[in-house]
Formats: sequence, structure tokens, C-alpha cells
Amino acid sequence: MSYKIPMGPFHPALEEPYKLDMICEGETVVDAKLHIGFNFRGIEHLAETRNYVQVIALMERVCGICSNIHTLTLCQAMEQLTGLKPPPRALYIRVVMAELERLHSHVLWAGIACKLMGFKTMFMTCFALREKVMDVLQAISGNRVNYSMNRIGGVNRDIPDPLALLPVIDQLEREIVRTVIPILTTSVTARSRCAGIGILTREKAVSCGVVGPTARASGLPQDLRRAAPYAAYSELEFDVPVETAGDVRARLLVRALEILESCRILRQALAKMPPGEFHAEDTKLVFTAGTAVSRVEAPRGEVMYSVSWKENSRNPSRVHVRTPTFANMPAIRWMVAGARLADTPLIQASIDPCYSCTDR
Amino acid sequence: MTVLDSIAAKLGTAEPWVQKGGVSWLDPCPLNVRNLAKAMNALNARFVTITAYQLPAGEGFRLEYHWDLDGQMLGFPYRLSGNSIESIYDLCEAADWIEREVHEGFAVDFLGRDYEPLLLRPGDKLGVNLREEVVR
Repeated sequence: MSYKIPMGPFHPALEEPYKLDMICEGETVVDAKLHIGFNFRGIEHLAETRNYVQVIALMERVCGICSNIHTLTLCQAMEQLTGLKPPPRALYIRVVMAELERLHSHVLWAGIACKLMGFKTMFMTCFALREKVMDVLQAISGNRVNYSMNRIGGVNRDIPDPLALLPVIDQLEREIVRTVIPILTTSVTARSRCAGIGILTREKAVSCGVVGPTARASGLPQDLRRAAPYAAYSELEFDVPVETAGDVRARLLVRALEILESCRILRQALAKMPPGEFHAEDTKLVFTAGTAVSRVEAPRGEVMYSVSWKENSRNPSRVHVRTPTFANMPAIRWMVAGARLADTPLIQASIDPCYSCTDR
Repeated sequence: MTVLDSIAAKLGTAEPWVQKGGVSWLDPCPLNVRNLAKAMNALNARFVTITAYQLPAGEGFRLEYHWDLDGQMLGFPYRLSGNSIESIYDLCEAADWIEREVHEGFAVDFLGRDYEPLLLRPGDKLGVNLREEVVR
């Protein structure tokens, strides 16, 4: 006999609102339906009432974790409409902020995953490390969450002495390599909770159009930093980690390896940062009428902004945001099918979902 | 022949691609959305999203279908004089949620599919979130 178990509309671990109705037979999930939109804020709608300065501050609030990525994507789109090009130093600073944000996001996710596995010591360890990443972000931007770094034509704040950050990155990497990665990849607890569960096959990953670490853990080597480089990524060397198992462990491994790649990118970006201005000259902005699309590889995957402007307007006429979780979440239905009920919170968390982004 | 030209040839059109705003646009697209989805699937392109616009003065809607091919963004705009267009959900699973979102936000009907509410807003009226008359 099958029965329905509703999980939500408040996720038991991620503490955000969405609902998963699972059809179970015994302890096994046979199908699931997802419901979102409990926190719909109408941000796209609100963006049409904001001018080109205000809209940056607004879109920074789409997500509380990857706030910098949203302003970066938006500013890149608006730069196409204004023709304003950021100077080279600004492009490097954008890379530094984006990779620090990826570190912060991945370490935070690792902490929450550990909590779901019942590994509370590691949760505390990960969050202590995350604090150190956030300290760096705060030292650069003055802020811990909404950094206000991006502007049309560059960034708002310089990194006056980039080389001074190198020892901090080294220390962070040492701690992550010494504690987080070995425990997450080799401990019996992590292995038993993650290996072979929540499988998303390569075929299903293609069919669902998943992005980011979720796609890369199912064998799809897609990464916009490589496929369609933006900011200064074309000048930096890095690998795109790919795993093929498609299970929770593969998603964990991809993120663990990405942490190391982020440290590698950060070291290069800080060492190679060119001198000069960090934003284009202040001038009256003139937007050409039309639509510009920008995409960025956020910690969770591809973010896309489609921004439209009407002639002589100070406000965008349309801002459409396609967030990575919006692309990844429908795949949860296939990941939980056949799983044990007790594994489903971890499976859901393994895509690193952001309901704030999804609902907008 | 460039990659884009070869795609255009496969789509059966001589229309030139227009590079604008970070997207290679094919406007007008000679195929309907379903045949476009089949052609994009055959090319192993990845569906990204649909961006919907309400046109002024009751002129209908404009839907822009975005596909990614090896990092290149391809755009295919469709102008709707009414409020309906064929669904591609059965051909492209990734289009499910965005079709539902556009349905709820703009009351555009994607023909040939059922909807479950995404619960983007309370109540049972469609097209209240992003419609012009609400904005102005």
C-alpha cells in the first residue's frame, strides 16, 4: 500500500520553504512532487520600478549566499547596454569576489550536509572555516553578506594590496585540505550516507537541463567559466572537476575539488592583478534600447539575466532571472525515486538548493 | 561555414544570425517551437529558459526561447498575438517549470500539457504577477 508523506513547506534541515510530497511504499519513495513559491517576492516585477543604480541593490538581495554573483551578472548585462567596459583590474577583482563567494558557499553547504549526516562536529568545523572566508570578504568589501562590490563599468572597492591576501588563502586551503576534504571523502559516516544514493543519471541530467556541480557530478563537463569565459577567467588556469557516479557522494566530491580549484584561481588572480583603475570613468550612462543577456557560473551553477531597456528610460523594462536552483530542483523528483525515506533530506540538500533564488 | 550557419542550415533557413546583447538571435525563427526543440535536441543543445514579455496595448506577448550550445547562447523569439503557444514539455523536460511560471505570471497558455500550480502567488487568477496592467 502506498501512502503520501509531505515534507515541508519548511525544509527540515535547510530551513527554507518548499514542499516535497513523496509517495512511499514502505520506507521506499516511489515518486515525488515538488511545490515552490511559498516565498515569492516579485523581485522581477519590482526591478521594473527601480533605476539603474537601485536595481543593483535590489538584485543583490535575490540570494543571501551568492549575492555578489547576481549583481555581477546584472552589471555585465547592463554594461552591454551602456557600452561601458570595466578596466582589467576590475575584472580580476570580480574573479576574486566570485571565487571567495564560491568557497563560502561550498563550505557552508558542506557544513549543512554534515549536519544532515549526523556529523555535527564537522558542521561546526565547516562553519568555523566559512567564518574565515567571510572575514576575507568583509575585509575587501566592508560587508558580510551583501557586498555591494559590483557597479556598471567595474567595482566599487579596490583590493589595495592583493598579495597580502595570499597567506590567508594558503591558510584556508591548508585547513580545508587537512580537515574537511579527507573527512568528507574518506570517513565511513560520509561514505555510508552518500555513496549510491540520490542518483541522477547522465541521461536524466541532460534531459532535466541541470547545471553547476549537480551536472558535473553526473558526468556533464559544463562550466561557463570555461565554455563562455567572463571577467578575467580566460586568463586563468583551472580544471573543471567532473564525476560520473551521479550520486550524493559525487556531488560532494565535485564541490570538494572545486574548493581546491577556487583556491588555485584565487592565488593566480591575486598574483596577476593588473594595476590601474577599478571602475570606468564616472559619466552619464546612456542605455541603448534592447535586450542584453548575461550568464555567470555561480556556486550552484549557471545564473542568467535577461535585461531589457526602453529608450530614454532610467529603469529596466524587464529583468528576467533564471537561477541555478530553478533548473536543478525538478531533478530532485528523479533523485529521490527509489531512495529510502530517511535519505531524502540529504538528497534534496545535495543540489545545494536556494529557495530564495528560486522563488525570487 | 560557421557553427551558426550550419545550425541555420539544419533549421532550414537562410536568415542571418544577429549577434546582439550576448546572444545569437535567429529572428524570425522558421520553425515552430516544437520543431525547434526537436532540432535543438538533435544538436545536443541545452535548454536554458523562456523569457516572457507582455507587449504594450494588448498586442500579445513575446517569448524568447534560450538554448545553450557549447557555451554559445542561442535566442529564438516568438511573437504571440493571442495568449497561447504549443508546449515543448514533452520534448524537453527542462522546460516544465518555466512554462508553468510563464503560465502563472503572464497567463500564457502552453497547449498540450497539464499544469500543477507552482504556487507563485495565492488565489486562482492567472497572470497577475508580471503583467503590465499590474505594474503601471
